[in-house]
Amino acid sequence: MAMEVTQILLSAQSVDSTVRKHAEENLKQFQEQNLPAFLLSLSVELANEEKPVDSRKLAGLVLKNALDAKEQHRKYEFVQRWLSLDVSVKSQIKACLLQTLSSTAIDARSTASQVIAKVAGIELPQKQWPELVGSLLSNVHQVPPHVKQATIETLGYLCEEVAPEVIDQDQVNKILTAVVQGMNANEANIEVRLASTRALYNALGFAQANFSNDMERDYIMRVVCEATLSPEVKIRQAAYECLVSIGSTYYEKLAPYIQDIFNITSKAVRDDEEPVALQAIEFWSSICDEEIDILDDYGGDFTADSDVPCYYFIKQALPALVPLLLETLLKQEEDQDQDEGAWNLAMAGGTCLGLVARTVGDDIVPPVMPFIEENITKGDWRQREAATYAFGSILEGPSPDKLTPIVNVALGFMLTALTKDPNSHVKDTTAWTLGRIFEFLHGSSVETPIITPANCQQIITVLLQSMKDAPNVAEKACGALYFLAQGYEDVGPTSPLTPYFQEIVQSLLNVTHREDAGESRLRTAAYETLNEVVRSSTEETARLVVELVQVIMTELHKTLEAQKLSSDEREKQTELQGLLCGCLQVIIQKLGASDPTKYALLQFADQIMNLLLRVFACRNATVHEEAMLSIGALAYATGLNFAKYMPDFYKYLEMGLQNFEEYQVCAVTVGVVGDICRALEDKVLAYCDGIMTQLLKDLSSNQLHRSVKPPIFSCFGDIALAIGENFEKYLMYAMPMLQSAAELSAHTSGADDEMIEYTNSLRNGILEAYSGIFQGFKNSPKTQLLIPYAPHILQFLDSIYIEKDMDDIVMKTAIGVLGDLADTLGSNAGALIRESLSSKDFLNECLSSDDHLIKESAEWARLAINRAISV
Amino acid sequence: MADENSTPHKRGPLKSSVGSAAVQRRRDHAVTVRKERREALMRTKRLCRVGVSSDDADVPVDADMATDEEQSVLEDQTVKSMEELNLAIAYQGKGAMQKRVNALRELRRLLSKSEYPPVEAALKAGAMPTLVQCLSFGSPDEQLLETAWCLTNIAAGKPEETKALLPALPLLIAHMGEKSSLPVAEQCAWALGNVAGEGEELRDVLLSQGALQPLARMMLPNKGSTVRTAAWALSNLIKGHAKAATELIRIDGVLDAILRHLKRGDEELATEVAWVVVYLTALSNVATSMLAKSDLLQILVDRLASSNSLELLIPVLRSLGNLVAGDSYVTDNVLVAGNEVTVRVIQVMIKCLSSEHRVLKKESAWALSNVAAGSVEHKKLIHSSGAVSILIRLLSTSPFDIRKEVAYVLGNLCVAPSESGRPVLIVDHLVSLVGGGCLSGFADLVRSADIEAARLGLQFLELVLRGMPNGEGPKLVEAEDGIEAMERFQFHENEELRSMANQLVDKYFGEDYGLDA
Repeated sequence: MAMEVTQILLSAQSVDSTVRKHAEENLKQFQEQNLPAFLLSLSVELANEEKPVDSRKLAGLVLKNALDAKEQHRKYEFVQRWLSLDVSVKSQIKACLLQTLSSTAIDARSTASQVIAKVAGIELPQKQWPELVGSLLSNVHQVPPHVKQATIETLGYLCEEVAPEVIDQDQVNKILTAVVQGMNANEANIEVRLASTRALYNALGFAQANFSNDMERDYIMRVVCEATLSPEVKIRQAAYECLVSIGSTYYEKLAPYIQDIFNITSKAVRDDEEPVALQAIEFWSSICDEEIDILDDYGGDFTADSDVPCYYFIKQALPALVPLLLETLLKQEEDQDQDEGAWNLAMAGGTCLGLVARTVGDDIVPPVMPFIEENITKGDWRQREAATYAFGSILEGPSPDKLTPIVNVALGFMLTALTKDPNSHVKDTTAWTLGRIFEFLHGSSVETPIITPANCQQIITVLLQSMKDAPNVAEKACGALYFLAQGYEDVGPTSPLTPYFQEIVQSLLNVTHREDAGESRLRTAAYETLNEVVRSSTEETARLVVELVQVIMTELHKTLEAQKLSSDEREKQTELQGLLCGCLQVIIQKLGASDPTKYALLQFADQIMNLLLRVFACRNATVHEEAMLSIGALAYATGLNFAKYMPDFYKYLEMGLQNFEEYQVCAVTVGVVGDICRALEDKVLAYCDGIMTQLLKDLSSNQLHRSVKPPIFSCFGDIALAIGENFEKYLMYAMPMLQSAAELSAHTSGADDEMIEYTNSLRNGILEAYSGIFQGFKNSPKTQLLIPYAPHILQFLDSIYIEKDMDDIVMKTAIGVLGDLADTLGSNAGALIRESLSSKDFLNECLSSDDHLIKESAEWARLAINRAISV
Repeated sequence: MADENSTPHKRGPLKSSVGSAAVQRRRDHAVTVRKERREALMRTKRLCRVGVSSDDADVPVDADMATDEEQSVLEDQTVKSMEELNLAIAYQGKGAMQKRVNALRELRRLLSKSEYPPVEAALKAGAMPTLVQCLSFGSPDEQLLETAWCLTNIAAGKPEETKALLPALPLLIAHMGEKSSLPVAEQCAWALGNVAGEGEELRDVLLSQGALQPLARMMLPNKGSTVRTAAWALSNLIKGHAKAATELIRIDGVLDAILRHLKRGDEELATEVAWVVVYLTALSNVATSMLAKSDLLQILVDRLASSNSLELLIPVLRSLGNLVAGDSYVTDNVLVAGNEVTVRVIQVMIKCLSSEHRVLKKESAWALSNVAAGSVEHKKLIHSSGAVSILIRLLSTSPFDIRKEVAYVLGNLCVAPSESGRPVLIVDHLVSLVGGGCLSGFADLVRSADIEAARLGLQFLELVLRGMPNGEGPKLVEAEDGIEAMERFQFHENEELRSMANQLVDKYFGEDYGLDA
């Protein structure tokens, strides 16, 4: 049954694209015509020691890709497909895979490891392939080190693929024993030790029971700590990765080891190679993460709401940890400010210091201040930069009371440094620190203002001056201005920025025109800062914002006129268009928010729309997204008048809804459909056939990213609200979709946090759809059309109530749906509601909720239900 | 972990550029704004409905679902929430807007909570100046909405509490402007409707402050709940005010909108619009004549034929009656014999006459009497329809006020107007009605203490006495104890009736009576 596939696989890697495409086509055909033979042939190829490594490796990868996919639906499809294969075929494939683990070719072995893990991921939860773990464990005792290495690697992948509860504790123990033994210093073979250390990283999630047992935990911790001292840098790095993971997974078990861990991590931070030192710092960062979370749960008072108590490791380690981190700040790289992806000791150390400050609050200030004072005036730029960075890092966490006096003293110094310091790194960090000052210590909620009438002008002058500095410095100066403006967002009718508004806007526009504005993301920073300045402005400057509309339109127009661009230039133009559309979005939102300015804006509506349509015509995904957002804002501002743009705009709306690949574009477009529904109300009806068709297609597509589905459901609600009973003709399509999605999202058992969050957003979308439909049909003679759907909807509400895992948002929407159902169906729903298992309990729970929005919806629902059941 | 060289996720640096975070924040903001708008829309829709329906039917609250709160607790909470609101208004810091909205929402919640909302406590705590302040121009929609809602509930209170709204009226009217969002405008309309419903004095204030125009404009779009609220408020506003009614119908588009909503709107909407039509046709000749020339009659008839909702049928029927009574164009040009609509009018009248509801019977009899007062053709049409037997039954079995209306119809069927002024008798109608047994009903009317009814009875007896062929009249009247009934008037204080009765008795039952028998 197996066929020779070597040549096709080799051709599929050919440099000649025609050959390659042809081969890929052949593979696809083979797969479609005879899947069992195809998969078997691949496994035979992978196992065959006679074959070239390249074709074996690709055979393994193709096989792996036939078992798993990123998209949830496709993954599910693949799993079902594998499970339905003939048992004997599967046995042959699995035998080939296991056999490959003994191959002398490392690539073949490693690929086989991954495929085995994928198969295990499918079969073990079904209680199939029960002998797998046993046979792998017996391999561990094989003499040839390469077999042992491959086997342990397989166990590692297996732990990554399979949920802990799928494997018996007995087998977990054996896996952990094998892995930890492989890490042991007694293990002579370096590859085996490395594979074991990496495997442990994945297996840690299985070790709950073992970490609860003092002896076993001691043993694992000892082996991990020993591995951090291995002569092999890769092993040390992998061991620290394990330690980081232990730090977050088993925080509450760390107390006995924390002193030792501190000792080894300090040594690593000070003396080890960078990749190792970075992981050692990461350990402390992740401990900060844990303690910040726990203290957050405490919620200020110490009534310990958290499941895990805080051990205050960071507070205890503070006297030694802070100096250690401060030392790292002096290890800057020359060009780190120009390199966006840079990550080095100084950056990791500063980041960790920032987390420490958030963890311990005021306590961070005393140990850091001497370092700042000592270094900030030194001749060596590294010292000045490190001192400034340290200051900037600790601005979030400590109380304003503690920081404000210091900042008041430092502010003048900072402003001088930003203008006068000869070193651009120092200026960069200084501007960033100013931004942090404004972000955390400036704003309407701060009691003692940092910015006063006395210093406001100087601050702005310095920042605007710095925008002419090197791109990285100018970018940070924009950032500082961004937070400066943000702090005034709730300032009231008069803003201290008003006198400078025009100058600020002009300076920012000048920045966007700089030749080098493409460096250090300067142009983006300038436009986004402009946006924030506009967003936070007051009526006083509305006239200037109206003028800005014309400026931005002119800029956008220019980008559309440019012709014959190189691909590089085109990319730049595209990015610029995106920024300009973003800017328009903010301006439209701002001016649209109050009546007098809205009228000033609306005189440009036609022109804006024209430009946006031309931007769409450029067909670039990112621009589409920003332009779509502007459209949404414009629709809201123009209201019913948006109808006149629909004939021209509609095709782009449809294109956006069809954009599966750039799913963010699709998501934004779905949102804009909602905006348009609210703007046009029943005038949107003429476009609904097309829109609904597209949305339904989106929902049934396996390609579309799952995150777009909840907003699509909400969008059904928007449409139904707008067109009312005219939604009738879509009921027969939309309702089954909603129903099956509701069934899928009713239960979350065994899902992780991320999945639960997604499920809740899906539920919310479904419920918003139901609400919109009920409200849309309310008072129509056609409400009886909805009656057949009511039992299922009530059942859905029952099941999510019983599941007890909905978040507040879902709860509010759900109780609203119950009310809408009662309100719209009236007495027709009375009996159903009475019969429903939990609607009364659910209602009572919502009525006594602390969340006033839930309570409000519930009170309303109670009225509606009482009316429905009293008739 | 699949890749050999991978390291676990790299933490984002503390020192990062502002751009990417700002872009994300901006997009998130757009999504948040959108969610808030959706939410606001849904919430408004819900709350308006609760209000509308709790207007017409007090919702019996299921005892175990209700959380009864002592009135005094509610009042304390109200005073406290007013304090919160004032604090929120004084506060200018971060999230000030949200604070204000939350405080308003709490106040509104308290004011919506019980059957006896703590309006007095709120007013004592200074609610009105504060709420007026919250209505200032440029305030966010959510704030306006909550404020207007609070005011709606206050206006629903006792008369002096409604009057307390006086300082808020100009702003409420202003927020119904074209630039306002629909939910805000609708809520303001609702509040104003409550105010207008209070009485003439407040109606005059509202009219002088220009409430009519914006409310009328809200009738124009096809937005069910908004139009319903606007129509309801308008009918309260023009009640008893002929000038306002004329002004309303003359506003561009109003006539079309009324016809459109009445034709296509759901029953609740049609009901409110029909009440507007009732007042228009009752108060304003201009309006009546404009409406008469439209296809209103057809629409009213369709509604009467298709609906079973009492709430809707009453104003529709009354409008129809007003239309027929008020403008000769209708009877002369529309309701002519042979027109399909004429047949249908009579059909729907029969439907209403046969209904269980007193009001429907009375309204339809009244409307029918106006048709019956028309030409001989009209009379023939009614006479030959199934209405007659129902009318005769009603004349003897229904409550007094209906009997009176029915008597008008039956009486009108028997006489036709003539040049000379004295009505001409239609003998065959008279004969068949008397044959159908209507005489005892009229004789009963003669005995009524109600002058008008008595006159109707007497007039009919006169027709019988005079018109029945072969001089059968007197005998028939006598058989129904008609003589005794007439003799009651011998010393009646009403001179007209007295002399009419005396003449009849003298003329038909004088000394010669019975001799030739």
